[in-house]
Amino acid sequence: MPGRVVVLLLLAATPLRAQSSLTIVAPAAPGGGWDQTARVMQRVLAEIEPATSVQVDNIPGAAGTIGLARFVQSERGNPHALLVTGLVMVSGVIINLSPVSLSDATPIARLTGETEVIVVPATSPIQTLGDLLEVFTRDPGSVSWGGGSAGGTDDLLVRLLAEQAGLPASRVNYIAFAGGGAALAAVLGGQVTVAVSGYGEFAGQIAAGQLRPLAISAAEHIPGIDTATLRELGVPLDLANWRAIVAPPGLSDAERDALTARVTRMATSDAWRAAMARNGWDDLFLPGTGFRQFLLSEQARVEAVLQRLALAETGPRPQFALSVTPATIPNLMVAIFGALATALWVSRRRDRTRPIDSPSVSTPKSRLPAPGILAAALLAQPLIMITAGFVMSSTLLFMVTASAWRGVWPAPPTLAKDGLVGGLFAGFIYLVFSAGLGVALP
Amino acid sequence: MGDLWTGFVVALQPLNLLWGFAGVTLGTAVGVLPGIGPALTVALLLPVTYGLDPTAALIMFAGIYYGAMYGGSTTSILLNTPGESATMVTAIDGHQMARHGRAGAALATSAIGSFVAGTLATLALSLTAPLMVRMALAFGSAEYFALMMLAFVTVTTVLGGPGSRLAGWVSLMLGLVLGGVGIDGLSGQARFTFGLPYLLDGIDPVIVAIGLFAVGETLWVISRGPEADEVLPVNGALWMSREEWRRSWRPWLRGTAIGFPMGALPAGGAELPTLMSYAIEKRLSSRPEEFGHGAIEAVAGPEAANNASAAGTLVPLLTLGLPTSATAAVLLAAFQQFGLQPGPLLFEHEPRLVWGVIASLYLGNVMLLVLNLPLVGLWVKLLSIPRPWLYGGILVVASLGAFSVHRSAGDLVLVALVGMAGFLLRRLNAPVAPVMIGLILGPAAEQHLRRALAISQGDWTVFLTRPLSAALLIVAAVIVGIGVSRRRAAPGRIEP
Repeated sequence: MPGRVVVLLLLAATPLRAQSSLTIVAPAAPGGGWDQTARVMQRVLAEIEPATSVQVDNIPGAAGTIGLARFVQSERGNPHALLVTGLVMVSGVIINLSPVSLSDATPIARLTGETEVIVVPATSPIQTLGDLLEVFTRDPGSVSWGGGSAGGTDDLLVRLLAEQAGLPASRVNYIAFAGGGAALAAVLGGQVTVAVSGYGEFAGQIAAGQLRPLAISAAEHIPGIDTATLRELGVPLDLANWRAIVAPPGLSDAERDALTARVTRMATSDAWRAAMARNGWDDLFLPGTGFRQFLLSEQARVEAVLQRLALAETGPRPQFALSVTPATIPNLMVAIFGALATALWVSRRRDRTRPIDSPSVSTPKSRLPAPGILAAALLAQPLIMITAGFVMSSTLLFMVTASAWRGVWPAPPTLAKDGLVGGLFAGFIYLVFSAGLGVALP
Repeated sequence: MGDLWTGFVVALQPLNLLWGFAGVTLGTAVGVLPGIGPALTVALLLPVTYGLDPTAALIMFAGIYYGAMYGGSTTSILLNTPGESATMVTAIDGHQMARHGRAGAALATSAIGSFVAGTLATLALSLTAPLMVRMALAFGSAEYFALMMLAFVTVTTVLGGPGSRLAGWVSLMLGLVLGGVGIDGLSGQARFTFGLPYLLDGIDPVIVAIGLFAVGETLWVISRGPEADEVLPVNGALWMSREEWRRSWRPWLRGTAIGFPMGALPAGGAELPTLMSYAIEKRLSSRPEEFGHGAIEAVAGPEAANNASAAGTLVPLLTLGLPTSATAAVLLAAFQQFGLQPGPLLFEHEPRLVWGVIASLYLGNVMLLVLNLPLVGLWVKLLSIPRPWLYGGILVVASLGAFSVHRSAGDLVLVALVGMAGFLLRRLNAPVAPVMIGLILGPAAEQHLRRALAISQGDWTVFLTRPLSAALLIVAAVIVGIGVSRRRAAPGRIEP
């Protein structure tokens, strides 16, 4: 095996200069699980491949699908780019109607995962998973399930569990919270019957005896966690919040195998194992073909349950007296805003038709229509910034603002002075940001 | 108290002290400079603090908030232009004092008053926050929804002021509409995105803050044309006579007593408590005829009130995640940037962070007293920056800040558009802070509403059968009722 790795590495190393850099795209804002995975990879790779400079690029948005779309389009055929992905992106692609899916990328390896846990408050009459499923099948609406955002791992687990219990996924009374923390407050306060989240999120309260764990969703028993898995309790279901690595499309088989070998070397290193233990990640390493098959089966499973859910939602709605759909509130707000703004406009017009017209309304001829000029300059600025760079566009903006403030056409010496000050200021900021803080400016 | 002790251990770490110092210094500077305030400063700093330790960053942000309350008074007194909206009232008598050669006493009573009020109010914050946390755990979605309704109503009614209440509601609704953009957190559906992937994640409050407070403000100032600005020199000793001490200490305490609870209630920032403090001092004074011509009470009271209200604002922000002023709204965005959700559980999960920030406020007050009393001359120099260059610089920094949030030039277009909307609102005499409150709290309120209905399986009576939620909603309804009846009484006003 090591011999093969070396050969593959040599194959990949043909263009020597390019081999020395690698970009890992984290399709999320700094701080989350995907970003952490990318940053830990960066650190471990720096240790085991000192010659490679690894950089992390955050492209947040829409459950990672914005990052995925940009990665697939702009990195096509580039064997020096990787994207961190996971279960949430599989459902994100479907929910956000993303034109690009994970099938458009080249799967490399599954790396880590975290098991989910189903909990009730310690004071709840529900003692076991059996109790919960019994109440749930008798009256599905009476059991409220708290968890993270819609379409996320928590949501999927509950829907899949409902289907295992013989209920349609749409009958789940799922209450989405901003994250495990908010769901935790809700279950502790007795606002929801049961809560679902990553084990780490609830571990403290489980240890303190405030929450009773009913089951975990891992495929196998996890050392250090006393709770039985769903499978051990007779429910043939497992789900992990897994994270994985994919490469851009359009790679040759040799390039793909070389990347797989590099990731394998990283994922089996001691530094990576130590980092996993530190972060509480379970080792779910699965490279190559195995991962490709796993990805296909996860996509099929998630797509199936979400499609059944979507079909149920387009059907007749339950008979709520005044049901609030996702569209209700925003449309109501737009209507009220329109009405109030019109009312305000009408009332101001009525005030203005009175003879006491303030002198500032009629602009003297000598003065510039300053706000208008400045607004135009602001709208033009992004364009200038992209084409001519930050310093140039900022200097121009500075000069326009200064002239607009004075309200008269500037004399050439004043203009030159403004330009000098603005240019120095913009140049100073540019240096501070690009050299000192590492923020790349055009 | 043990928690506060831990907090001091955190806040006294040299690096955190340094960040705290940077915060209060920057805060004083932006407080002194007209046109740039704490909300904008924190928004601009957010993108470059990603890599920082959250505790250090939040200590700095809290320092900026406190510092701005100190610095604003200097400009009010010496220039008669409030450096911050919260120091508007200070300008009335403070500037008169300066005209009569008593600038030193005015600056001293406002700095010492700010220190007294800031320290007492921080103490009150340390004592009430744990109580609020215990109460907040009993809050369910119905209660949060009711509380947010109350916040919307009070913020809009209070900031709208008489005659422009309708304008306040227009601002709030604009914020609520903008908040509706993006993926719905409960169902995962995209709303108001017009097929643009750019809009899927909603409109970033940081971008809106930059647009409103930098671009909107600059456009507004420019539209009014250049103003004569004459910075009065600081004459006389920066100290107070025995008589002035005697006349100051009671207004300080009364200002604190008004400012802290008014800030803690969802009543919208520091403007109202300063006005109330002014009115009360005038009524209680034995020389009400001096008010408006340089009464020291009229500086001492409002200055104490605005600092106390800044501490008060932190109570609902930290314990409930409920911002009640524009700066608090941006601070909430700062917490969220670091993956922290203010609320009762924050005290449980991150005690070192929360108490570290609270402890840093005590230290910040001491630093600010030193910065603002002996060193006030330095800040006065800031006022000599030519105004055209100041606003030019603000816009350059603003566009840089907006760009670095997502490294996207598209955000700059959004900033320009929001700025123009903010300018229009100002022209209509509408307050802009409700836009921020609506943008941040709107989606949260909607989610709580729908969550409460999902838990009750569609039964709307939950909001009235739960006593706390019912009480909050009734208060909100009463406030709206008062607003409507007043407008009806005023002739020439249109129906709501």
